[in-house]
Amino acid sequence: MNIASQVTSERIIINVEGRIDTTNYGEFESAVNKILENSTPEVVMDCTALSYISSSGLRIFLTIHKKMIGAGGKLILKSLQPSIREIFDISGFSSIFTIND
Amino acid sequence: MKRNTLSYRIISRLLPAVMIIGAAILIAYYLFARSSISEHTSSNAQMTAKNTVHSIEEIVKQAELIPSNLAWMMESGSLTKDSLYGFLNRLVTNNPLIYASAIAFEPDKTGHLFSPYAYRKGSEVESINLGSESYNYLIMDWYQIPAMLKKPYWTEPYFDEGGADALLSTYSHPFYLIKEGKREFAGIITIDISLDWLTEIVNSVEILETGYALLISGNGVYVTHPSHENIMNHTIFTRAIELGLPKLRQIGRSMIKGEEGFSTLELPQIGKALLYYEPITSTGWSLGVVYPYKEMYASLQKLNLVIVILSLIALSLLIFFTFTIVNRMLGPLTKFAHSAREVAEGNFTAELPQIKSKDEMRELRDSFEFMQRELSEYITNLKETTTAKEKIESELRIAKEIQMGMIPHIFPPFPQIKQIDLFALLESAKEVGGDLYDFFLLDDKHLCFAIGDVSGKGIPASLFMAVTRTLLRSLAQKEKTTATIVSEINTTLCFNNDSNMFVTFFLGILDTTTGEIRYCNAGHNPPVMVKNDGLTTFFDITKGIPLGLYEDFAFTEQITSLKSGDTLFLYTDGLTEAENCKNELFSDQKLIETIQSAIAKSPADLVKYVLESVRNHVNGNEQSDDLTMLGILYKGDEVSTDKEMSAESDINMLPAINEWVVRRLKQLGLPDGLENTVNLVIEEAFSNIVFYAYEPGQKGKIDISLYLDGEMLVIELRDKGKPFDPTAAEDPDTTLPAEKREIGGLGIFLIKKMTDRVEYRREERVNVLIIKKKVESI
Repeated sequence: MNIASQVTSERIIINVEGRIDTTNYGEFESAVNKILENSTPEVVMDCTALSYISSSGLRIFLTIHKKMIGAGGKLILKSLQPSIREIFDISGFSSIFTIND
Repeated sequence: MKRNTLSYRIISRLLPAVMIIGAAILIAYYLFARSSISEHTSSNAQMTAKNTVHSIEEIVKQAELIPSNLAWMMESGSLTKDSLYGFLNRLVTNNPLIYASAIAFEPDKTGHLFSPYAYRKGSEVESINLGSESYNYLIMDWYQIPAMLKKPYWTEPYFDEGGADALLSTYSHPFYLIKEGKREFAGIITIDISLDWLTEIVNSVEILETGYALLISGNGVYVTHPSHENIMNHTIFTRAIELGLPKLRQIGRSMIKGEEGFSTLELPQIGKALLYYEPITSTGWSLGVVYPYKEMYASLQKLNLVIVILSLIALSLLIFFTFTIVNRMLGPLTKFAHSAREVAEGNFTAELPQIKSKDEMRELRDSFEFMQRELSEYITNLKETTTAKEKIESELRIAKEIQMGMIPHIFPPFPQIKQIDLFALLESAKEVGGDLYDFFLLDDKHLCFAIGDVSGKGIPASLFMAVTRTLLRSLAQKEKTTATIVSEINTTLCFNNDSNMFVTFFLGILDTTTGEIRYCNAGHNPPVMVKNDGLTTFFDITKGIPLGLYEDFAFTEQITSLKSGDTLFLYTDGLTEAENCKNELFSDQKLIETIQSAIAKSPADLVKYVLESVRNHVNGNEQSDDLTMLGILYKGDEVSTDKEMSAESDINMLPAINEWVVRRLKQLGLPDGLENTVNLVIEEAFSNIVFYAYEPGQKGKIDISLYLDGEMLVIELRDKGKPFDPTAAEDPDTTLPAEKREIGGLGIFLIKKMTDRVEYRREERVNVLIIKKKVESI
C-alpha cells in the first residue's frame, strides 16, 4: 500500500495504491489521519490504483467519513475499480459515500 | 538285457515265432507217434490173441480127436462092451491130458444104465460103472445136450472138488451103432480134460508190465483171470455190474457171441486200457488181451520230456547266439551314436568305429566320414563370414548403445515431482534409428519434453537425431517460448544440411504446479489428449513444418492446460503406420480406440498396452519403422501438497495466504478474476478466527483448503480454537446512514454476500467453516 497526497487550501487529494487489508489497515489509518491534520472542507480519495480492500479497510473509510462529517467536511471517493465498487455496493457503503467516477 | 536295445527287440520278435514253430512240430510229432503206437499196439494185441487162441485150439483139437476116434471104433464094432473098461483104463493112463473118460450107453430095454468110466485117483487109474440108481447120467448136461444136438459138445468148465481138485471141462461126443441095418444113436463118449494147461497158456501171455490175458466160457464165466477170486466165481456180466461198466457188458455179449474186436475201457487200478478179444470157436470160449494205455504211451511220454528239455536247451542256445551275433553286428551302431554326439558337440574329428566288413555298416561309416569332412569345411567357412558380420554388428550395437544412452530411460525420471508420471519407449526398426524423445527439468517445476522423427532410418538418421537432441538440450530455457527454442534448433539444423535431412518435432514445457503447457509443433503428428473423464482426442495443434527445411519459418507457440488426471500421449508415425502382412495400417482411428479401451491409468501401462495392441495388429510382420511413445500423466492436484495451506493464527500470514490462493486458483484452472473475491472471503474468515476463536496471545493453526466440487469452489477453514460460529452474527443494516453504521459484522456479511453458501459446524474440538461459491472453470 502506498499513499500519496496533494494538499491545497480547498481540498486534499489522496492517492491510494495497492491493497488495504487486515494487515495494513492500521498503517493506512494513521497515514490518512496524518494527512487530515491539514484540515480542508473536502477530501478526495483517488482509488484508481486501489486493487483490494477488505472489511478492515472499509471500516477505516467509514471512520474517516464519520470524522469528516463530524467536522462539517466531505469525503469523496473517486475512480473505484469494478471489483472494489462491488464490495462497496454489497456492504451498502455506496449509498453512504459520495462516489465519483 | 536292456529292453530298448536292438538285440532285445530282434530276439523278442524272433523268439515267439521260433517257439510257435517248435511247438507245432512237437505237437505234430506227438500225435503221429501216438497214433503209430496205438496202431502198433492194436496189431500186437491181435497177434498175441490169435497166437494164444491158436495154441489153445491145437490142444483142444488134439483132445477132440480121441472121442471122435473112439466113436468110430464103437460104430465099426472093433470094440466090444466087455473090453471097454480096460480100453478106457489104458486111454486115461496113456493120455496125461485126460483126467477121466466115459462111454455112456443109452439104457437097454430093461432100463439098465451102462457106462464104463476110468478116472485118475492119485497116481492110479480106476474103472467103475458110472450109471447107477443114484446117478442118472441121462439128465446130465454132458449127456443130454450132445444127445439132443447130435453133435459134440464142450461143457462149461467146472471145479471138480474132492475128485481131481482141478478145473475141468468135459468133451462129449455122440456115437452110433448099427442095429438091424439101421444106424442108431447109442450113447455118449466123454473125456474130462484138466484145464490147468489152459490157465498156464493164458497166464503165460505177457503183456507189458501190468497188461494181461483172460478167458471166459460160453456163459461168460471167468476161466482164467489174473485175480484168482474171479475165476469160476464171476461172470463178465456180474463183474460189469460190480464195476459199474455197462461197456464191459456189451463187450461180454460180443465175446460170448463168438465175435472178435477192439474196445477201450476205464478199468480200476489199470486206468484206461485197450481190450482185444477173439473167440475159441471149437469150445465157444473167448480170449481177451488187455493193454493199459499208461504203459502203451509211457515211452512216448518219456520221449516227450526229453524232447521238451532238449528244445529248451536249443532255445536258450538260440537266444544266446542270436544275442551275441546281433550284438557283434550292431555293436558299431552304438559307437556311431557316440561319434555323432561328439560331432554335434563340435568335435568333427571324432573317432569312428573300425568296420572290416563290406556291408551296410561300412557304407554308414563312409557316409559318416564324408559328413564329418563336409561339416568341418562348412564350419570353417561359416566362422570366417560370421567374424566379418560380427564386427559390423558389434559396431552397430555399440552405436545403438550410445544412441540409447542419449535418451533418458530411467523411470520414474523425477520422483521428487509428484504431480507428473511419465513413461517413454523407443523401438528401432534397425539397430540404430532416427526417432527420438527427451524430457528434462528446466527448473524445479518446469518439465521440458519433446518427441521427434528423423527422415530415413539407420545410421544417418541416428546421427541427425543425436544432433537434434543435443541442440534441444543446449537451447531449451525456461524463459524462452517453445517457438523460440524450436526456431533456434531449426536454424542450426538448416545450416550446412546438404543431405537435406529433416526431423518432425514436438516440443512442450509443462508447469508441473499449474498444469499449463506451452508447446510448439514442427510437422509432427498431433499428440493424443486423454482427459480425466476419459474423453480421448487428438491435440489441437498448428501443423508447422519439419525442422531442417526452411531456416526462416516462423513457428508459433500454443498454450493449453492439463487438469488433474489428464494424460498427454505422444508418438511417432511408426505407431500409426505400423503395417500388418495385408498392408493395413494401425491408423489414427485405431490408436484413439486403443487408448480409449485401455483400462491402464499409468503412462507405463498405457504405453505397454498400446505396444501390445500394435504387436497384435502387425502379427509378426517385420517392423518397418522406428516406434516411439511418450506418455505424461498430470496428477497435479491429486498429489499436490499445495492443496492445503496450514497457517499460524496470525494476521501477518495473510500475504502468504494471498500468494497461495493465486497459485491454487491457477492449479484449479479458475479465472484470475476470482482472485480478489476468494482472497477477500478467506481474509475475512481468517481474521475472524484469529480475533474471535483464539484468545488474545493464543496461537494455533488454521488449515485452509480450496477445491472444486462440481461447479462449486469450496473454501474450507478449520481451526482448533474455542467454538465460534461466525454465521450466527446478525447481518448489519446496510440501509443505515453512516453515523449509525456499526464497525463490526461487516466481514462475515461480505462473505455471505459474495458467495453462495456458508456453513459452520463443530467437529470434535474443531471449527469447520465451509464456504461455497459457484464458478465457471476455464
